[in-house]
Amino acid sequence: MLGGTVRGKTTRLRLPTLDDLPQVDRWAADMRVRRGGPMGRIGEPCASSTWKERFNDVVKDKDCVLWLIEADSAAVGLAKIRFSGAPAADAVDIQQFLIDPGHWHKGHGFDAALTLHRWIFDIVHLRCVNIELPVDQLSALRIAEKLGYERFAHGHEAFYRDSAYVDQYRMRMTLRTWDERWGAEHREYPAPLGPELEA
Amino acid sequence: MLEPETTRFWGWRTLSRGDDEIEKRFKEQASGTTNVAWAIHLEEEHVGFTGIFDIDWVARDGESGIFIGRSDLYGRGIASEAIRLRTAFAWDELRIRRVHNWIVMRNRGSRRANEKAGYRQMGRLREAYFRTGQWHDEWLGEILLDPSPGLPRKD
Repeated sequence: MLGGTVRGKTTRLRLPTLDDLPQVDRWAADMRVRRGGPMGRIGEPCASSTWKERFNDVVKDKDCVLWLIEADSAAVGLAKIRFSGAPAADAVDIQQFLIDPGHWHKGHGFDAALTLHRWIFDIVHLRCVNIELPVDQLSALRIAEKLGYERFAHGHEAFYRDSAYVDQYRMRMTLRTWDERWGAEHREYPAPLGPELEA
Repeated sequence: MLEPETTRFWGWRTLSRGDDEIEKRFKEQASGTTNVAWAIHLEEEHVGFTGIFDIDWVARDGESGIFIGRSDLYGRGIASEAIRLRTAFAWDELRIRRVHNWIVMRNRGSRRANEKAGYRQMGRLREAYFRTGQWHDEWLGEILLDPSPGLPRKD
């Protein structure tokens, strides 16, 4: 599994360990998290043993990276990407991006998203990243639009929850947009390996 | 599955197409609960495949695909009929209410066959598919069953 630790301003993306499971358990079954469309399908089991299995499986999956999002020494979220196969191996899909509801409205979602995109564009230098979002996930859509995602498809009634079908936006962000929008600002962030190795 | 003409807009370039690998994939597909796949027969000859994959049984949504393995049969309405049968099975037997797919923009035959069956464009992704030395756009299509009476729709 590719990946490694990536530091943002308030969050840190690092690979999860089994020791993180009790913290993830605390919020991963919260329906506010699970209704987030592709970030946690309602039909999937959400038991502790399932998460343990997922943590173990993702280590063996060479096409995926799963990060734990950490803030203030607590596990506050998860982010998972999947690489497309060759010859489009320079594109990824964000498959999960979720934040513990107890840590909403603190800016961790945007900081972790920006950090994730630093990894995608600055560190691994990929060409583009795709995401699919329910149209009523307003906070996620705001983050995506602020980062520079553009919508390329509108799927109708693609998700079902809360007794209703909900539409879906499919969005893409490219390396060119990243460079134009974030090219100067992202360099203010600490080096991914940490200041001790920066020299 | 080895003809350049039939795989021009279909499949991966890195997967093995040996008999063992194909048999393994068939077995995996057959044991899964989120796929329905069919062989397409023309008279007594097996000429292609179609299916609905990655079915989300909560949203009742799946992704479709089709492959005709003999290029000399193109333009004879085989894919159109297979798509119509597949779509009818999705509604009538599986209670799937939405099917979506991705088709390379230049694959006009496949797009037209899907549109004839009722698929409508929901988007277009630029430079999504690389083949024969160049990027191609992809057409994203979907087909929806009319909303069931009594089911609310969130806008």
